Amino acid sequence: MRLAALAVAALLALAGCGGSDAPKPSTVADAKPPLRIGTKNFPEQFLLGEIYKQAIEARGVPVELKANIGSSEIIHQALTDGALDMYPEYIGVLLSEVANVRARPKSPGAPYRRAQAFEAPQVFAMLAPSPFSDQNALAVTPAYARRHHLRAIPDLKRIPGTVRIGAPPEFQTRFEGLVGLAERYGLHNAKARAMPIGSQYAALDSGRVDAAAVFTTDGQLASGRYVILRDPRGVFGTQHVSPIISRRALNRYGPKLRAIIDSVSRRLTAPAMQRMNAQVQIDRRATADVAGEFLRGQGLK
Amino acid sequence: MRRTLRTPITTRVLLLSATASVLIGAVMVILIVAVTAQRNAARSAFRSQEALAAGNQLEKSLLTIENGVRGYVASRREKFLDPANEALTSYPGEVRRLTSLVDDDPGQQARARDIGGEIDDYVTLWARPLIGLARTRPASARSVVITNGGRERLDTIQRDFASLFARERAVINAREDRAEMGSARAIAIGVGGLALVLLVAAGVTLYLRRSVVRPVVTVADATGRLAGGDLSARVPAHRHDELGDLARGFNAMADSLQRSRDQLEHSNAELKRSNAELDQFASVTSHDLQAPLTTISMYAELIERRHAADLNGGMALVDGIRGATQEARTLIRDLLEYSRAGRGELALEEIDARDLVARALEALAGPIEEAHAHVHVDDLPVVRVDRAGVCRVLQNLIGNAVKFSVPGRPPEVEIGADRDGDMWRVWVRDNGIGMDPKDAERIFEPFKRLHGEEAYPGTGIGLAICERIIAQHGGRIWVTSRPGEGSEFSFTLRAAEA
Repeated sequence: MRLAALAVAALLALAGCGGSDAPKPSTVADAKPPLRIGTKNFPEQFLLGEIYKQAIEARGVPVELKANIGSSEIIHQALTDGALDMYPEYIGVLLSEVANVRARPKSPGAPYRRAQAFEAPQVFAMLAPSPFSDQNALAVTPAYARRHHLRAIPDLKRIPGTVRIGAPPEFQTRFEGLVGLAERYGLHNAKARAMPIGSQYAALDSGRVDAAAVFTTDGQLASGRYVILRDPRGVFGTQHVSPIISRRALNRYGPKLRAIIDSVSRRLTAPAMQRMNAQVQIDRRATADVAGEFLRGQGLK
Repeated sequence: MRRTLRTPITTRVLLLSATASVLIGAVMVILIVAVTAQRNAARSAFRSQEALAAGNQLEKSLLTIENGVRGYVASRREKFLDPANEALTSYPGEVRRLTSLVDDDPGQQARARDIGGEIDDYVTLWARPLIGLARTRPASARSVVITNGGRERLDTIQRDFASLFARERAVINAREDRAEMGSARAIAIGVGGLALVLLVAAGVTLYLRRSVVRPVVTVADATGRLAGGDLSARVPAHRHDELGDLARGFNAMADSLQRSRDQLEHSNAELKRSNAELDQFASVTSHDLQAPLTTISMYAELIERRHAADLNGGMALVDGIRGATQEARTLIRDLLEYSRAGRGELALEEIDARDLVARALEALAGPIEEAHAHVHVDDLPVVRVDRAGVCRVLQNLIGNAVKFSVPGRPPEVEIGADRDGDMWRVWVRDNGIGMDPKDAERIFEPFKRLHGEEAYPGTGIGLAICERIIAQHGGRIWVTSRPGEGSEFSFTLRAAEA
């Protein structure tokens, strides 16, 4: 891949030389730096990072992938600091946790427009959103649901004592977390048990927690061993993925880059994501292989 | 004959010296290489230690950053950030220093560069964003800290550090081992080489002794024998080098010497024989001539006595016969004396030379008085000589000194002696007419006269007889003179005590 990058750099340099109004000959030293893509700290993000990286590199733009940076709070800060050029973000999380927007518009296009409006002054662009939405949700075991007659989130209030929720640490401070649950449902008997994303299913199985904060695209949910509680008041917003990218990076690589990224995002459907998540999380396949296979299937690589 | 090398000694010695030099040079080079390796090892060990120290410093900076950030997120007190900010400023330099310190090992350099990248990621993707987040939304920052992303990154970095350190220590150990092994080997080679050099030196010495010194000594011995008169001395000459040439040259020289001596001896013997024959002839002839001469003079006497009256004026003729006969007899007597001189046994005895001079003066009393000569005799030594012979010599020399005087000047004669080594030089000095130096040799030949018999009478045989007597005593006789200034006759005699 480095070779490819060098080749592209050389080609670009040659093109620069050919231009009649180029004031000085370009050299390899002037080659464009790689596009720095970051990802958050859970498997679906790793997958998205690989998919974007491989698709962009296939079109000759060098990419430096910085995987597993952290939650939205920190990765967005890194983007703002200029340590990253781009990362795939969930629109709902961005609005509620970064932009601090708590309203839950019903129209699917509204959140995207609001997110665009939020990022624009910060010199970032929200690229085309994905068809799939990976919402947050609360899941319990069927046995637990039966015992307490649980169907929706408000049903948790009836449970005597504390409801222990296995969740990533930010769940404690997020609106799409304990904050929103208390605000919208008056759920005060819930306590978050901080744990790494992905390990909450095992905690649920072993009974260390009563409920778990999950993503609706998690491969584990396809097994039917877990029940998702309904969210009638919409604490958890729709979570379509939209790559946030700095305008400077967009300018540097030209319209070609935006076209590549958009063409990838458009093909990220819910079934495709769930299938890929299952392949990575349950079948333990390598993220890069799964991403490459997907892109080849879509004719993007 | 033993087969020998056809290489000259110079070449052989050169070859041997070159071999020894190469050996010594090789040993030196190996030692120098070992010392250099040791020094390089020490230098790179020092460098590695520095790299370890730089790595530790970098790790410390990272922990300072992490602790500072955590402290700030937890407390929002800026003072927690001060050390972290300092470390954030200093760490890129520390990364560069570490990278440059391990640049002699590509693997280590790659590791250092990886660590540098990871630290950059930790700083730009974790520490700095977290500080920014803590300023604007402290609660969110606290929730992020709980995920321990920073610790995980630091753990990774520390694992990489550990692997870098382990590798660096392994590098140090390997280098030290290598250098130690190298120097041990070099010492062994050095000692072995020196032993070999000593062996070669001993071999060269033995070789030189056997093949150069011994032949030279052989030639020297033979030269000594040759000088001592042993002309049969020869040396073996079968070598094909300079010493062979020397030996052959020596043998050729000895051969030629021997040939010359043989020839000399031969001619000497020839000469002696003819000399003896000549003497014999002279002696016999003189002796045989005496009888008819006596008869002639007897007849002359008878004629004078019996027929003097008849002869009338013929008496003058008879006188002439008698005078010529007398002259012939004198000549024959001198000739006989000369031919006898220097032959027969010497009757050697120790005599005070003053006695000999006294006897000579006694015999010459008449002429001395006649010439009003004045004779002065110095101190004279005791000598071992034949009394009659040396007396004859002294008598002859003193007689000449008196005889060849300048008319009107009374002869002054002085006799003395000087020591000259184990010989005495006896001299007879006069104030006579002297002679031309070119005649000084000739006067010792028989019957050689410088003046007419009318001026100074004599047959001219005296000095020739003196020469023979002195030669028989093992001495020599000569004269130093200038015309009109007198002469000094000298002869040498062996000292009595010698």
